Amino acid sequence: MTVAYAPLPVDSSEAWLDALRADGARRQDAIADLHDLLLRAARFEIGRRRSALSFVRGEALEDLAVQAADDALVAVLAKLDDYRGASRFTTWAYKFALLEAGVRLRRRAWQGREVVLEPESWPNLADDGPSAQRSAEGAELLRELKRAVQEKLTPHQRDVFVALALNEVPIDVLAERLDTTRGALYKTLHDARTKLRRELAASGYLEEVS
Amino acid sequence: MSNRNEKLEALLGPTGPQVSCDECFERLDEYVELELAGADAEARVPGMRAHLEGCPACREEHDSLRALADR
Repeated sequence: MTVAYAPLPVDSSEAWLDALRADGARRQDAIADLHDLLLRAARFEIGRRRSALSFVRGEALEDLAVQAADDALVAVLAKLDDYRGASRFTTWAYKFALLEAGVRLRRRAWQGREVVLEPESWPNLADDGPSAQRSAEGAELLRELKRAVQEKLTPHQRDVFVALALNEVPIDVLAERLDTTRGALYKTLHDARTKLRRELAASGYLEEVS
Repeated sequence: MSNRNEKLEALLGPTGPQVSCDECFERLDEYVELELAGADAEARVPGMRAHLEGCPACREEHDSLRALADR
């Protein structure tokens, strides 16, 4: 005997939850619908970031979308009881697919590239314009910043600050290389930035930016 | 803000309290829907805006979720 189910209303969060918590074929159909939803979200993310991955074949990108949707599906089903109804169910579910796709895209874009923990370049902190005085002030500020990075940060804080803030290594790439998490790295970066701000303020260099 | 200060701010990140990456992910869907509804999302999720300014990966996910939820 076959049983026909009405399609899930797009924005009916209750309907999604009921179906995903049901038994048998109804649940399996809901899971398939959820996978479709997550796959659309993963493809959407890949479409937005495609310019950074022009060297990756379309088939590889589609594989990446499917892997992201697969892992997002597992995460959504595992966290179903955490859904608090603060947003539509679809918006809540989308974020898992966007996270999975985004992490994969950043790592794919850096595949084979070395993560350098030494400064590749320091920004020119001189103001625009021809003033010799402003140029000298910028150079002085940069010297003070370099000194603070060397003297006030721990080796780990220095590595993280240099990689993320100076060399613009994506945080998920650094997390993978250092075998840690995005959250732990961001906390380290935040602590490093706080120390540097405090040091530059104590030296009188942050009057204009505070 | 001067060119110099913009560069320095980018390096040093936002000031003030901010949520962690885990808290950001936890409440991102709620924050985005509040924004789309024209509500004061920052008042409901304090520290989210500063985190999104300081964390490029979370900001990308915010921007994508907002675009996707707004379709």
